[in-house]
Amino acid sequence: MMENQAKSQNFKLSSEKEKSNISLGYNPYAKDKLYALLFLGPSLLILAIFVFYPMLRTIYLSLFLTNNLGNPTVFVGIKNYLTLLTSSSYINSLIATLIYVIAVSILTIIIGLILAQAATKKVAGISFFRTIFSATMGVSVSVAAIFWLFIFNPSVGLLSQLFTALNLTPINWLTEPGWAMTAIVISTVWMNLGFTFLIFFGALQSVPYTLYEAAQIEGASKSYQFFHITLPMISPTIFFVSIITLIESFKSFGLIDLMTAGGPNNATNLLVYRIYQDAFLNGNYGLSSTESVILAVIIAIFTFIQFKVLEKRVTY
Amino acid sequence: MKNKKYIYSIIVVLILAILGFTAIQKNSVQANSRIKIVFWHEMTGLGQTQLNEFVKEFNSSQNKYVVVPQFEGNYNEAVQKILNTHGTDASPALFQSMDVSTSQIYNSGYITPVQKFIDQDNYDTSKISAVARAFYSKNGKQLSMPFNTSQPVLYYNATLLKKYGITPPPVNPSYSDITRVATELYQKSGKKVKGISVEIYGWLFEQFLANGGESLANNNDGHSGTPTSVNFTGKVATKTMTWIQSLIKNGTFMNFGAGSSAAANEMAAFLSGKIGMFLQSSADISQLTSGTKDKLGITYYPHPDNQKSNGVSIGGASLWISNDKSSKVQQGAWQFVKFLMTAKSQAAWQVATGYLALNEDSQDESILKNYYKKYPAAKIPGQQLRRTKPNNTNSGIFMQGLIQERTLTQTAMEQIYNGSNIKNSLTEAQKAMNSYVTSNNLANKISQK
Repeated sequence: MMENQAKSQNFKLSSEKEKSNISLGYNPYAKDKLYALLFLGPSLLILAIFVFYPMLRTIYLSLFLTNNLGNPTVFVGIKNYLTLLTSSSYINSLIATLIYVIAVSILTIIIGLILAQAATKKVAGISFFRTIFSATMGVSVSVAAIFWLFIFNPSVGLLSQLFTALNLTPINWLTEPGWAMTAIVISTVWMNLGFTFLIFFGALQSVPYTLYEAAQIEGASKSYQFFHITLPMISPTIFFVSIITLIESFKSFGLIDLMTAGGPNNATNLLVYRIYQDAFLNGNYGLSSTESVILAVIIAIFTFIQFKVLEKRVTY
Repeated sequence: MKNKKYIYSIIVVLILAILGFTAIQKNSVQANSRIKIVFWHEMTGLGQTQLNEFVKEFNSSQNKYVVVPQFEGNYNEAVQKILNTHGTDASPALFQSMDVSTSQIYNSGYITPVQKFIDQDNYDTSKISAVARAFYSKNGKQLSMPFNTSQPVLYYNATLLKKYGITPPPVNPSYSDITRVATELYQKSGKKVKGISVEIYGWLFEQFLANGGESLANNNDGHSGTPTSVNFTGKVATKTMTWIQSLIKNGTFMNFGAGSSAAANEMAAFLSGKIGMFLQSSADISQLTSGTKDKLGITYYPHPDNQKSNGVSIGGASLWISNDKSSKVQQGAWQFVKFLMTAKSQAAWQVATGYLALNEDSQDESILKNYYKKYPAAKIPGQQLRRTKPNNTNSGIFMQGLIQERTLTQTAMEQIYNGSNIKNSLTEAQKAMNSYVTSNNLANKISQK
């Protein structure tokens, strides 16, 4: 309390000083600007070097053909863009990415919410389950990939043995296009769940209990309570999680690299993996810069749509 | 009290640091009197252990040079690092680079061809495998020294074939020989054991063409000039893919897909007796012999019916001498290369890693003889290597963008394995590769002027 008072007094004093300065023809904002520069400068400098310059350089490179050393040699204008947007394999990648992103986001949110809701129940041993549900946060991508590869292995894998035991034909999880995508989606959702669960669980805890009590007195059913109390109350969290998952799944790389390497038949060759392949395997820096620019635009559009559409449904 | 403790511990740390520093300085003074040869390699596991052993031996065998080995991650990453550090203090004097980067490294102009040192020393290269030498040479000039070298071969589980009373494939099998064994195994095992797997791997595709005597790129696979177009749709390519599709149709084929997991899954299936045969690099031998009690069988790479096998090319990597170091340093690098190529080193190398001994005289080394006694099948890859006479179609493809070529042929293989029309898939891949070759040539010619 004392301190606060002292601060506000200080503030008053300084603002009075400024006033008197104005009358002396001295610009008070000059000092503010200097401070702003001092405080923002370091981060601006870092952003400029590590974000803005690479961004501009990427746009620049996207207009060139590059040689083996990655230097731009032939200016081709928007030809790289045209080549990509008319290439059927790129369009396939684009569609695959959309399917992947949408499937992963929706499944992660729904399953995460179900798990979080279940974990709020006060039953014996619940803390064990809470730990298990959030455990995937501590699993690294490479470990997860090995784990899932073992499950999906066509000859000695867990799933194929289960299928054989049940007299079903085993599925070639990682070699048939449709199933490969399914396998990647399953593993990504599993990876994402820990984080989503934790966030949702926290949000559910913060919904005031009095609301449910009031609803119970009114005789509202459990499902009515969920859709009319829980969902609106945690909608900001759902909004946050949906944006994070969406952007993260656009950028997913590790699981794909380790599990399918973009195959079979490019079914899981998502945009980011393509960028990596074109730049660091094929040395096609120009083309991969073009792909990066297109990906950035797509993510920007999606985020914009989410802010416009979803935000209206969010009750803060 | 607490402060005092802090001060004491700081003093102790300082003293230790000073002692450590002087020790380092002493060491570097000692090293400075010898010429330092920085050697970049990409070997992991057994290969790395053996390579470090060689370095130790070389360093203690003389006192003029000291080789400093540095591990540089995987092959692909290393190529970029080599090209981007050239001319700086960080660059290596000697480096290992993978087979498919040969044309790219050569075109960078950053290397001294080892031919220069071979001529200076009148070094006898005739002892070193001709097929391996041909892969890393241009117009009869040796660009780099072949080092870790493997051959594609067919592995089979001899115990499993015996169990079902199946005659093993001949040493130099044709496609229909393999079909026979695969089909018999699948039928006689009550469809429990699959006959064969061919990983979706561009290298194997290249080898099918090589063994059938078909060029993959024009200008004789790039040996008589920069390729301007590729050929994926030739007779041999079509025949091979038709053969594989027929195997898939009769159920004896197992598809493990592409990528890093495919080879591991294939290996696991073979070791657990779920498939009878598979095509892979001869460098897998040590993993296979240690992984199962079943007897391992090996044959040459299969060839199309009704024609002789042309011989396959090699895989692996070679050693390059960088031209941004002084001639003394380059000379030292060459001395180390010669050391690695001796009969003794090469024999030790094959026994430790499964890569083939390239020096003819290695076959007389006792260490290799004992190894063959223990694993008779391990002889086969070396025999295949020595019987092959190098020509334009089995000496690798001298072209930039081979990684892209592999990605594209792999995509085509994936489509074909899943039942697509062979001609359409191969034509599509060929078209994409041709447009890559055109723009890559355009982009690189200008930089070279």
